[in-house]
Amino acid sequence: MPSPPPDWVKALKPSGPQGSELLHQERAQSNVDVERLSELLHTKETLERRASLLALLQPEKVFDKSQNHTLGRVERLQRSLAKAKRLQQLAEEHKWSMQELHAANDLIGEPTPYGLHASMFLVTLREQGTPEQHKLFLERAEKYEIIGCYAQTELGHGSNVRGLETTATWNSNDKTFTINSPTLTASKWWIGSLGRTANHAVVMAQLFIDGKNYGPHPFVVQVRDLETHQPLDNVYVGDIGPKFGYNTMDNGFLLFNNVKIPHVNMLARFCQVDKETNQYAKPAMPSLVFGTMTWVRANIVLDAGGVLARGVTIATRYCAVRRQFQDRDADPHAGETQVLNYKMVQVRLLPLLASMYALHFTGRGMMRLYEENQSRMKAASSPDQESRGAGPEQLRAGANLLADLHATSCGLKALASTTAGEGLEICRRACGGHGYSSYSGIGPAYADYLPTLTWEGDNYMLTQQVARYLLKSARAVLAGKPARNDTSQILQAYLDRRDKGASFDVLDEDKDIVAAFGWRTAHLTFEALKHRDAEQRSWNSLLVDFWRLSTAHSQYLMVKNFYEAVSSPDLSGALDPETKGLMHQLFRLFSLHTLEREAAEFFSSGAVTVRQITLTRTTAVLKLLDDIRPHAVKLVDAWAIPDWHLDSSLGRYDGKVYEDLFRRASEENPVNDLVFDPYPWNSALLKNEPAKSKL
Amino acid sequence: MPDFTDNLRPSQPDGPTTLARERQQSNIATEELGQHLLGSDGFLERQARILPIIQQEPLFSKDQQQNLSRPERFKLGVARAKLLRRMKDTHKWSHLEYQMAEYLVDDVSPYFLHMEMFITTIREQASEEQQAHWLPLIESWKIIGAYAQTELGHGSNVRGLELEARWDSRSKEFVLHSPTLTASKWWNGSLGRLANHAIVVAQLLLPDSSSPEQYVSHGPHPFIVQVRDMKTHQPLNGIVVGDIGPKYGYITMDNAYMLFDQFRIPHSAMLSRYSNVDPNTGIYTKPEKPALVYGSLTYVRSNMVHRARLVLARAVTVAVRYSSVRRQFQDRDGDKTGPEMSVLDYPTVQIRILPLLATTFALHYTGLAMQTVYKNARQEIEKGSFNSLAHMHSMSSGLKSLCTILAADGIETCRRAMGGHGFGGGSGLIQINNDYLSKPTVEGDNWMITQQVAAYLIKKMTAAVGSPDTPGIDETDARFKEFIRNKRRPGSKRPTYDILNSDLDIAYDAYEERVIKKRNWNSLLIQLHKLSRAQSESIIVTTFFDTLSNDKALSTPIKSVLWDCYRLFALYTMENESFEFLRTNAVSQIDLSSLASRVQDLMARIRPHAVKLVDSWMIPDYLLDSALGRYDGRVYEDLFNRAHRLNPLNRITFNPNYWEDEIVKGSGGDGRGILSKL
Repeated sequence: MPSPPPDWVKALKPSGPQGSELLHQERAQSNVDVERLSELLHTKETLERRASLLALLQPEKVFDKSQNHTLGRVERLQRSLAKAKRLQQLAEEHKWSMQELHAANDLIGEPTPYGLHASMFLVTLREQGTPEQHKLFLERAEKYEIIGCYAQTELGHGSNVRGLETTATWNSNDKTFTINSPTLTASKWWIGSLGRTANHAVVMAQLFIDGKNYGPHPFVVQVRDLETHQPLDNVYVGDIGPKFGYNTMDNGFLLFNNVKIPHVNMLARFCQVDKETNQYAKPAMPSLVFGTMTWVRANIVLDAGGVLARGVTIATRYCAVRRQFQDRDADPHAGETQVLNYKMVQVRLLPLLASMYALHFTGRGMMRLYEENQSRMKAASSPDQESRGAGPEQLRAGANLLADLHATSCGLKALASTTAGEGLEICRRACGGHGYSSYSGIGPAYADYLPTLTWEGDNYMLTQQVARYLLKSARAVLAGKPARNDTSQILQAYLDRRDKGASFDVLDEDKDIVAAFGWRTAHLTFEALKHRDAEQRSWNSLLVDFWRLSTAHSQYLMVKNFYEAVSSPDLSGALDPETKGLMHQLFRLFSLHTLEREAAEFFSSGAVTVRQITLTRTTAVLKLLDDIRPHAVKLVDAWAIPDWHLDSSLGRYDGKVYEDLFRRASEENPVNDLVFDPYPWNSALLKNEPAKSKL
Repeated sequence: MPDFTDNLRPSQPDGPTTLARERQQSNIATEELGQHLLGSDGFLERQARILPIIQQEPLFSKDQQQNLSRPERFKLGVARAKLLRRMKDTHKWSHLEYQMAEYLVDDVSPYFLHMEMFITTIREQASEEQQAHWLPLIESWKIIGAYAQTELGHGSNVRGLELEARWDSRSKEFVLHSPTLTASKWWNGSLGRLANHAIVVAQLLLPDSSSPEQYVSHGPHPFIVQVRDMKTHQPLNGIVVGDIGPKYGYITMDNAYMLFDQFRIPHSAMLSRYSNVDPNTGIYTKPEKPALVYGSLTYVRSNMVHRARLVLARAVTVAVRYSSVRRQFQDRDGDKTGPEMSVLDYPTVQIRILPLLATTFALHYTGLAMQTVYKNARQEIEKGSFNSLAHMHSMSSGLKSLCTILAADGIETCRRAMGGHGFGGGSGLIQINNDYLSKPTVEGDNWMITQQVAAYLIKKMTAAVGSPDTPGIDETDARFKEFIRNKRRPGSKRPTYDILNSDLDIAYDAYEERVIKKRNWNSLLIQLHKLSRAQSESIIVTTFFDTLSNDKALSTPIKSVLWDCYRLFALYTMENESFEFLRTNAVSQIDLSSLASRVQDLMARIRPHAVKLVDSWMIPDYLLDSALGRYDGRVYEDLFNRAHRLNPLNRITFNPNYWEDEIVKGSGGDGRGILSKL
């Protein structure tokens, strides 16, 4: 690394009020009780657990983050495996729970090559394996004696799982399956932890028995030798190469040339091939599994809040420290204005601040519903979902509360991850030029987060499922079926009043805001239904309408969840009245800002008038920005993201933005070790190193 | 090494078959459209000539560049830039030919600032005597220069720069000094490791005429300064300079920090075409027109407007070709026997990609118009007339803001529209995204500079309100006056879909709020940003419309699809801002509700021509560097080749056991080898 700068540089300080002073002032001007709010958001135990993990991890050299952005891909992945190994050693030594391991990995701040082993491989074995298979695979996997991954997506197929091309053919003569890749597009692709790390994979393949295709099923396949770690014969496996982000993960490809595996390797808890009769058998799916997707999506929504909070924390603190221009209308002797005081910065950041709370409370709401339902279903002996088919679209509308949420949660997953992903980029740009530096900490987080917009169902594809469910519910309501869940209720409410029109007082009544969002969903649902049923338009031609419908409905769900959270007794009990009032204002900012952005839809559905929208824009939102502004720094502080996790010069808790940018540039930047010969006609590149033939 | 994968083929119909079908179904003559777009100054001919020369050089192979560390990638960037410059001599390339070579190699050149801002600033702001001294040195690359304006603490607010240039009347020198850490120069390209000279912008401090011990600042001024030793290439004493570290993109650029400690430069270092300090009296002569100091910024902004089209065209080319080849799901209403649907047949994919395809043409015509305005204004300025300066400055600021955002967001929209594979290195959209995302904040933050547009428009509107009946002194003035006259006439009705004029209402509203109601500037910023955007959108739509209306040369099939692209761009823009149009009565509620279906109809009409339209941009595969966007459609073969054969990671074998610290199998190490390098 370059030698430290001379003394006259070390003696320099940033001009004007120091970052630390400005943040101190920000914190002094707000009464928000950061600690209480943190505990409400995360719980005390979570915060304490994180603090002790942080103390353990931060001093270890292997977890150093300073070179993350300068390393080449190969070295970066090697380091990441070193981190993963060390984490696993610590987990063993300190007997961490899964939650603790997860929290520790979160602090490390990057996906590691063990990632898919620790999540999807173990989960799939656990959920889809029989007790015999648990003994054979799961127990060894839990001890890391075998390391695995989950191989579903292929080069040619992602969203359309039924279109997968890898085959598993049952051989009745020797009771084995033959796994084969008939085409190049059948190659498994994007499979995390498979590229260089795993020696086993759960492979999704089309099951063929006697020439008949039974659709995609999971098989455990060994892909590398446990001694040499080389691919087994007729297995072709490797890493797919550099990516936009996620470069510490070895996403892999995988091809099979007629590889035989024993009967026991087909995960058989739900479906199996009878060894004796060669018949395919599919026992009823127990209803407890049916909520898993909801749980996964609730987590994505909750995580989206945390991811966004990272960007908003950085941008808010930096914009409070950064000052640029004097206010045109202020005393000319006043210093420059904090960038956070500019309305055009506020209008980008503060609605995102509100969104991260909205996402958090929505995720929590989903989680609570899931848990309540799980315990209720455990209590009831005869679940009513025994005839469920493959996708959420097959659910009977209105069956129960969770069914409703389950069907609509894919829309929320899409909206939440898009909000977080795009929100990070807005935060980065709000930081101006310095946002472009890797030391801002936002760009790298954004690049790593982006795949979430595609995995667990591409965000655009998913919206069809929500639309399908809403259309079905609308048909039921029109047929006079009683409205037993929330979706049916908003549809019914719309039908009851559609001729009289709505008169929602969105500017003064919080409840009316929620109702106006519900009204818009219902309006769009019946419009779409008209196109599909009365006008007989093709499904494909309506996809854009469906996407808008799903987005509208998901926004309604967020607004509703946020409203319920800020009105709940839990929240009142936990917070002082002032902070509680602020939570209401965040709810209003989130809702009204959304309403304003989607103004045309609210207007054309008749939920609000042009005058109301104009007032929302010119008065209500601006007033909310003014009201929330003084508390902005404390509202991000409450998220309690440690500096080490942020890994950002701009977002430091202490506000020492410029000192840290300068320190990293001058002392942690290996480019400054290179002394170039700048002249084109001298082909020697460097003055302090002999010319290498490498380039 | 041959293996069983060599015999595998993608499932049918494969990419080449699909793209051949796409090309058959459209009657667009790509050669003609290509010439129309890029033929005028020989661009396409140059591209065809230079491309094979570039592809022959192993150094310009793009195979491994995504895998390199920052230092290695930067070294590769410098090595390439040097070779390119030498090739200019060997092949006797003109400047345009050299630019073509750079464009194809597609690295941000670490010499960029030397070739652009450094020399431009000398040309525009140095006195004749200074030019005579410096230009030959720069043109012959005897010195390598950069442009150092932005500081750690100040970017947008140029007047807030902290670096001082204090006049020492005894020694007749300026003393450059950084009083604080935030005074450090920052972000200055080509300066971190390469340049030995720089234009340095500093506050000019002169002794107060009444009390000579006191110094008064006369604002930021440019100085030319040697910063590194010509032999050792080490920084001169009293200067600390280096590279600022890794960034989101621009990996081949050495953006710099630089600090001065009482560093002395001669009187002749101050660029003195417009302002000067008399060496004997210390008396300061002001520039006639202060805005001229920022002249080169306007030049850079108008270039950015012009370049946006090819950047977006690249992303759209990749997205259109790949989403034609990519198939996923069968049509729900179809008979389920044929192949899966091309992803581009999904309206949810179309609505992301096709409006951007239309945007490439919109940006093209606007870019040309901006170039013309810039050239004309420059000529007038050289003749001593500054009338068009304010207009040009406002137009370049507004368009820079809008066009770079359209292109930057467009790249990312295209990348995401391609689903999972868009995230991979084979998409070809990663480096371009990383590099281009600097544009919305560089050379004037996109949100900040819209204030300049709004201030200009409010001023013009105030003037128009003051004397609406006098003849307009320029185009904007004439439009505003006509608008005011119409406003006075009661019951005047606007035509439907009046996208060309909705900015007028917004400008009037802004005038009313600021000038009549005296609302404070800060509270209006959001509205002012909308005003700038509306005005720039109006310029783009008007230019698109005028160009097509006046064209006499294009063949009918091309003309009609370009008209559809015009309509799509205009209506899609309206739909996005529909409430604004509704509020200003530029569109009725009924029209508004039919916008969505009109947009969808237009997309259906453009869809069959999509592949041929992107083909017309004639972007070579070498430049695209994209498995997904290949001209021949061999998407999956190329993805596999990159993963399997070109990926260096697949040459090492890991030890996956966590209880063993060894990382690379057989290295025998305990993992410390990896750490010790850091």
